[in-house]
Amino acid sequence: MLKYLFANEEDIPQGSTALFFAFSSIAWFIIGTGLGSFNAAKLAFPDFYHNVYWLQFGHMRQVHVHAVIFGWIAMAFAASMMYITPTLGNTKLWSEKLGVWNCLLYNVGLCLALALLWSGMTSGREYSDHIWPIDLYIAFVMVVPWALNVWMTVLNRRTQGIYTTNWFFAACMFMTIIVFLIGNLPEFFHLTGLNEAYMTWWFAHNILGLLITPVAAAITYYIIPKITGNPLYSHRVGHLHFWSIVVFYSTPAAHHLMSSPLPEWLKSFASVEGVLILVPAIAYVSNILLTMQGKWSMFIENIEVKFTITGVFLAIPLNMQGGFQQTRAINWYIHGTGWIVAHAHLALLGFSTFAEAAAVYYGIQVLLRRKLYSSSLANFHFWMLLIGFSLYWVSMTIAGLIQGAAKIYEVPYIDVVIAEHPYMIVRWLGGTMVFLGNIVWMFNMYMTATAGDHVPEGRQPAEVAYTR
Amino acid sequence: MGWTFSHPLYSLTTEDQNKEAQYVWEHENLGGIAENNNPLPRPVIGLLLLTYITAMAITFPLYGQRPTAAIFADYVTLMNSAEVQKVLHDKKLSHEAADEKAMALIEKTLQHFDSPYNFQRQQHHITMNQLRMIAPKIVELQRSGADLEEYTIVGPTVAKANFFNIQPDGTVIAKQPWWDKGYTIAVWWFLVFCAAVIITVKRLPHFTWQPDHSIAH
Repeated sequence: MLKYLFANEEDIPQGSTALFFAFSSIAWFIIGTGLGSFNAAKLAFPDFYHNVYWLQFGHMRQVHVHAVIFGWIAMAFAASMMYITPTLGNTKLWSEKLGVWNCLLYNVGLCLALALLWSGMTSGREYSDHIWPIDLYIAFVMVVPWALNVWMTVLNRRTQGIYTTNWFFAACMFMTIIVFLIGNLPEFFHLTGLNEAYMTWWFAHNILGLLITPVAAAITYYIIPKITGNPLYSHRVGHLHFWSIVVFYSTPAAHHLMSSPLPEWLKSFASVEGVLILVPAIAYVSNILLTMQGKWSMFIENIEVKFTITGVFLAIPLNMQGGFQQTRAINWYIHGTGWIVAHAHLALLGFSTFAEAAAVYYGIQVLLRRKLYSSSLANFHFWMLLIGFSLYWVSMTIAGLIQGAAKIYEVPYIDVVIAEHPYMIVRWLGGTMVFLGNIVWMFNMYMTATAGDHVPEGRQPAEVAYTR
Repeated sequence: MGWTFSHPLYSLTTEDQNKEAQYVWEHENLGGIAENNNPLPRPVIGLLLLTYITAMAITFPLYGQRPTAAIFADYVTLMNSAEVQKVLHDKKLSHEAADEKAMALIEKTLQHFDSPYNFQRQQHHITMNQLRMIAPKIVELQRSGADLEEYTIVGPTVAKANFFNIQPDGTVIAKQPWWDKGYTIAVWWFLVFCAAVIITVKRLPHFTWQPDHSIAH
């Protein structure tokens, strides 16, 4: 990577940026899930390492959250955008040099941000935990150059029109920058009270709704048609998805604050919009699943399709939960419980992770023109991820329902802690499976880069037989 | 139907493609979402309609809204009445028993009068202790001539819940409808969304994966 920082643009091989981002994202996925497993161990066995102040849950939680969101999720998005955007525009990435610098400074910034969080320097606001200098660094050094590369590549396209995936990529980068800068206003200008609460959750909701889930969906709009060879079932339904995301997903932030003294009309409005996210969800899921017509055997045979379609299937419960759990009647029961933790992991570790893992698997193979080193290890990774995630999701959902019941019936807190103990152990086991699976993934991708069979020009990696 | 502006909003659409798009515009159903090549399956359309109806039904604000000060105004009046004060100051009763008896008396009296707040009163049960805390604030608001429906009870606080409608001179230009303004906004938001998406989707410029070599970048 370092040798490209000061190289001429023409001397940097196409796809370098995407590859650096891809390998960084896997490394951060290992770190992030490792931290998650560590934190889960603390919740399952509270006496574990209890003398070490700087390893306590209060310090470590944010580090886990931001390592997976900014490290894994966002960098895997960057990797995907850096190769999918130019491919769909039939052109080159606008600037590989900018991309390489972007990747380096992204990693440096993230290390700095996490170190500060770890040391206890936080804004104290969930999901927008960083202090303002870090916020500005994230916005202008990590995200703006990335967005610039995407936008300029779309502008310099050589195709007629813009494919759905690139609509999402370009628009989501724009919306992310706006959401990030406005959502952090309480940190820049020290807003307090309801303004602070609303801004915090407007940010937290929209970073999920306008960056993480739509970009993951955009990736599947590319991967499924590309690998199956079927054209997207409907370009227009893709547009229905896109515009309904913009209209319905940008407005329901108040549904995170249903018990707060926000104006009731705002909560009602947010709640209706919250249910209407099922419009993009139905449009999206039906579009992708209808695109699979006649190619369902690839769901079993092809690792990228397997990951992607599993992600799409996970989007169904994700949106059903998301749509209804924020309504007044249900929110009353599950607000502030482990149910929400399960739901957040369904979005990040379920839907988006599976979609992104497919993009990273596929991207590394096509950019290096090398076939995946081991299909068995990839399948092992898939099942570790799926079983680990499922254990986590199911156990935390049950734990959340117990907490909800206990909250309503005013069961003493310590009794709830005892009732939840078995589920906390299952949560730790599930998270640890994901962590171990990711180490295997990194090994597999490293071996792909160094020892994978060469894929001839014009062929898909999956079309080449293993010769070993 | 593509745009024909020059750079930067240039159109890649030729006249033939425009004509084809116009033909599709004039002959397709369902606002153009069911496009000419791949109709949106009927069950999916049904699911989308069901989503909208469900969204309106499940969020209908019958439950979970905060109580307004107006629903307790009669409680306050009755609490200050001679009969209730007599019960509250009855030395033969314990403090709790006096409170319960007084509240029962208030509720029994209220049953004799028809009120638009009956349903909300059932939803927001109040104890004498809570009533004592909010009563002076409600009396003060009544004296100042405020509209109690625009005030919300949050614990011991009586807070103004109106954000838009009261003018500086005190005139009220619009009131919170019983079904909630957020609801009205949501209906308009959805209608505007439908109109905007139909127009956008119908006016999309010609799209193909094939490169256009006539444009130099």
